[in-house]
Amino acid sequence: MNSIQKRLIITLGAICCLLWCAGSIAAYLATRAGLISEFDSALKTDIQALANMTEQSEAGLKFDATGEFMPKFQREENPDYFQLWQDDGSTLYRSPSLSEDRDLPQQFGRLQSPRYWNVKLPDGSNGRAVGIRFAPKEDEDTPRSPGSPPLTKEVTIVAGFHRAELDNRLSYLGIVLLLVGAVLAAATTVAVNAVVRRGLRPLSILAQHAETIDASSLQLRFPTTNLPIELQPIAQRLNDLLTRLEASFTRERRFSADVAHELRTPIAELRTVAEVALKWPDDLSEQALKEALNIALQMESIANGLMALARCEGSLLSPSPERVPLASLFQEAYHPFEAKACEKQLSVSLDVPNDACWFTDRTILRSIFSNLLSNAVDNSRPASSIKARVEKNGTGERLLISNTNDALVTDDIPHLFERFWQKDAARSSPDHCGLGLALARAYAQSLGMKLDAELNHTEIVFTLSEATPCDRQKADSAFLNWS
Amino acid sequence: MRLLLIEDSARLQASVGRGLRKAGYAVDVRGDGEEGLWLAESNEYDAIILDLMLPKLDGLALLRRLRANKNGTHVLILTAKDTVENRVDGLQAGADDYLVKPFAFEELLARVQSLCRRSYQSKNPKIDIGDLEIDTVTRVASRKGKQIELTPREFMLLEYLALRRGQTVSRTQIEAHIYPDGADLMSNTVDSAVCILRKKISREGTPPLIQTRRGMGYVIPDQSR
Repeated sequence: MNSIQKRLIITLGAICCLLWCAGSIAAYLATRAGLISEFDSALKTDIQALANMTEQSEAGLKFDATGEFMPKFQREENPDYFQLWQDDGSTLYRSPSLSEDRDLPQQFGRLQSPRYWNVKLPDGSNGRAVGIRFAPKEDEDTPRSPGSPPLTKEVTIVAGFHRAELDNRLSYLGIVLLLVGAVLAAATTVAVNAVVRRGLRPLSILAQHAETIDASSLQLRFPTTNLPIELQPIAQRLNDLLTRLEASFTRERRFSADVAHELRTPIAELRTVAEVALKWPDDLSEQALKEALNIALQMESIANGLMALARCEGSLLSPSPERVPLASLFQEAYHPFEAKACEKQLSVSLDVPNDACWFTDRTILRSIFSNLLSNAVDNSRPASSIKARVEKNGTGERLLISNTNDALVTDDIPHLFERFWQKDAARSSPDHCGLGLALARAYAQSLGMKLDAELNHTEIVFTLSEATPCDRQKADSAFLNWS
Repeated sequence: MRLLLIEDSARLQASVGRGLRKAGYAVDVRGDGEEGLWLAESNEYDAIILDLMLPKLDGLALLRRLRANKNGTHVLILTAKDTVENRVDGLQAGADDYLVKPFAFEELLARVQSLCRRSYQSKNPKIDIGDLEIDTVTRVASRKGKQIELTPREFMLLEYLALRRGQTVSRTQIEAHIYPDGADLMSNTVDSAVCILRKKISREGTPPLIQTRRGMGYVIPDQSR
């Protein structure tokens, strides 16, 4: 299983154990070297004492065995050994413990830097040998005759000592280090396990919290207080994601409810008109038939709006750009709403130069104007004004259409372009179903423009931006032709 | 029987209102929640048909206020909201029934009839008083098997008196339950209607079923007691 916790425990445990092993081995080796050095130092003292007991004179070489020093070479149990050779290889002296038929291996260094090595002693046990080659001191009791040359004979001494005590100490050290290492490895595993679990607990809590969140509990959020700083950005991003998901789900639910209402209500109306007319056919009036027709027209309008939105969203619209004079198109789009505007005593001010024109699809732009104007006429306060003006916007132009609207608040603006959204939760208006602005924005996008809305107190301003004015289109064409 | 229809769709107001009137109910219609609540609290209705998405005051809020004011009129919610949560909310707010749009008018009618019967603790759609039989579903009254020709309002009056048999019903109560809000009523409208109904259901040699309690109103004696 791919588990961070398991991987951390195994990796950290392994690393700690390896470090403990390496440390133990280093400690063992260092202690071993120290003990051997100490042991060798004792051997050096012993062999130097043996060297001091060797003298030479004109008469020859003499080894003066001293009883006080010799017991370790004479004892019956685990005796040490030494052997003294002359230049010619003959044995000058050997320790009482060393039988005549056994020789010690002959390796040597100098007096101040003897040679040491491990050796199998004649009794079969493990030992450590030390060997030196040196010129024995002159015998003071038999001085050399005057004028004679100095005595330069050299001898070799090799001594073999039992190292059982050293080996025992080294074994003890090894066992202690092994046991301590094992205990420490076990303790480390437990400690690493506990530390990793404790360290990853916030992650587990985060995971448990995540498990409780589903489509029905999107209002829940991950707690960010008391969370380690490493996890805070994750929790924050997850919370942001949940906020967006919740908004999306809410929008979808609202959309479904709105669609249901927009479609079910006219169907209910039509069905009731028909059923009542069938139940009491003698009372069938022309009014009922007119109502049935109006309902059918309303449903057709909804279906057309949805189809148009689907065509826009599926990029099925093929705009045919041409020179479109803005002022005349605006007036043309406004004409159907003129009577209603008069009825509400609305005034329209159009601050668009007569020669202003955009290079775009005339029919689609007219539909955008119609939707915005229909919206403006229906929602404006009576006796107020609808204003339209064109502004330069970088290399392009934008059209601003504003009107009064007392019902909207700032929080409504993000929903304005949602399909089927209506300010009136009762959705009582038979003339609007909430598709107009969604359609207008989809149309604008199909023309490569942007349609946004902004609320200034009680005035709503729709901005149609990123339009291509005709003079820039000419410039672009000229550039293309020239290049 | 007098109903209140609170529905913001003008077309549904017209068609449902017309259907219910043709079925013999007196129907008051309002298009927003505030007026609907005012009417519901001002008059005595046998049932209220209530939309949920209403201007000014939504249907659930209206219903809660009605119940908070101890108004026990039976309420049928008629709405496009169809989720389980919507139904649960509606019923928990105090509705007696819930019908989702689009709906069959016959079903609406049957549910309204059922609610009206419940107003008078009656589960049987047929009312038998001696040899007089009143079918509240088919809206037909007969005596000794012979059908009596009645106008919708006459049937309503007979049904109302029959459902309250054994109780004296005042003229004001009859006006409140049989005639819609704003109906042009003369001082003797109820007396004339009762007189005509009494004649239509009378049989020679038997005392009149509808008796006058002078200064108090009218009563159909409960013959089962």
